[in-house]
Amino acid sequence: MSIPVSVLRLPRGPDPNSRGFDPQSPRFIALCTTSIPTSAASHDTEQLQEEQRVRSMLRENFLRCLLSVNNKKVHFHMLEKVNVEATFGSSDIDVLNFQVSDLHTPIGVQKEALIRSRDVISFTFDL
Amino acid sequence: MAMRQTPLTCSGHTRPVVDLAFSGVTPYGYFLISACKDGKPMLRQGDTGDWVGTFLGHKGAVWGATLNTDATKAATAAADFTAKVWDAVSGDEVLSLAHKHIVKSVNFTQDSNCLLTGGNDKLLRIYDLSNPEAAPQEISGHTAAIKKALWCNNDTQILSAADDKTIRLWDRDSLQEVRTLTFDLSVSSMEYVADGEIVVITYGKTIAFYNALSLELIKTVEAPAPINSASLHPDKDFLVAGGEDFKLYKFDYSTKEELESYKGHFGPVHCVRFSPDGELYASGSEDGTLRLWQTAVGKTYGLWKCVLPEDLGVENTDQVYTPPEIKA
Repeated sequence: MSIPVSVLRLPRGPDPNSRGFDPQSPRFIALCTTSIPTSAASHDTEQLQEEQRVRSMLRENFLRCLLSVNNKKVHFHMLEKVNVEATFGSSDIDVLNFQVSDLHTPIGVQKEALIRSRDVISFTFDL
Repeated sequence: MAMRQTPLTCSGHTRPVVDLAFSGVTPYGYFLISACKDGKPMLRQGDTGDWVGTFLGHKGAVWGATLNTDATKAATAAADFTAKVWDAVSGDEVLSLAHKHIVKSVNFTQDSNCLLTGGNDKLLRIYDLSNPEAAPQEISGHTAAIKKALWCNNDTQILSAADDKTIRLWDRDSLQEVRTLTFDLSVSSMEYVADGEIVVITYGKTIAFYNALSLELIKTVEAPAPINSASLHPDKDFLVAGGEDFKLYKFDYSTKEELESYKGHFGPVHCVRFSPDGELYASGSEDGTLRLWQTAVGKTYGLWKCVLPEDLGVENTDQVYTPPEIKA
């Protein structure tokens, strides 16, 4: 007769909504350099504040841009010389996939589809 | 009162887990990466199994995965004919290295500057990560698909195992073959232990230990079933192995005695590795799960808590979770 070893809890599983790598984790904050370098090294708080304000504006502009593409006809220019048209729906939170409707492909019109953002070189739409 | 092993199951993969690797010990603990046929390798905290993130980008089964010593970089080998290098802190893909066939194995040098790859095109490739646009150095010689390729002898030599039933030792500078071991059976796995220069090789039901420099046989241990992977404890007192009978085995390295065996996986065990501190070992299986096992059963470590019989019945037992009896 033996007692099973007790555990505090079970290992945490993946989050279904994101790919992880929590930007709030101590490791991320310590080790991750942002793609646009900050002037954080300088202790000029005014400059830092202005920079943060501009960054905030850039983020907001990006989100507004995504909002404005919603339901518009979009032309995707993709890898392997793929050029297709569709009606843009939305992007997922990590900008890994774009949800589109009525995707015109050489083999027919796909009512609903997910476009892998990694495969997209550019896309254009009329405002 | 004897304590019974409680494995910690890490779920999340949807297809067989075919390879796993630990990082070294970092200021943030140590990490574990798992390669899966679902194409989505995952990074986990090594001592708890907690999911950290998933590397998204491969378009085919991932056959090999590795981390650099400080777990800042990851590399993966996949059936989409690419090996990819990732930032293991942000999860971003940093490099995609095109190959001519399925890539099976990836390995960083200790300084993380070079990446060794091997796969079904039978070639070993050395990439300079500070100059990734440059063509890699290529080493040919194997006559069948390469299963595993590892740096050894302080990154001055390379060990490769292939389906041509050979393990070959190569010199990194001359790119020449130095020594070859030939087997009657296909080699199922290979692990390199830098401290002590030992190579752990599995084939059939045998776990063999060779000197990594001379490729001289040190000893062999026989298991009750065909073994797919084995790992030597950092202190070289134990070895663990898993294979086709779904079980994990623990042997004494000196006496070769089988000490413990565990049921738990619902499919063949494809890979097993000790953590860098030797306190636990992780196994990956056809059943799509990773399991963490304690080396010293009953010890308080990670998520395992040593609860003495006299403590059960005291009010703080609601902090601990005693798993239900699972009949395997």
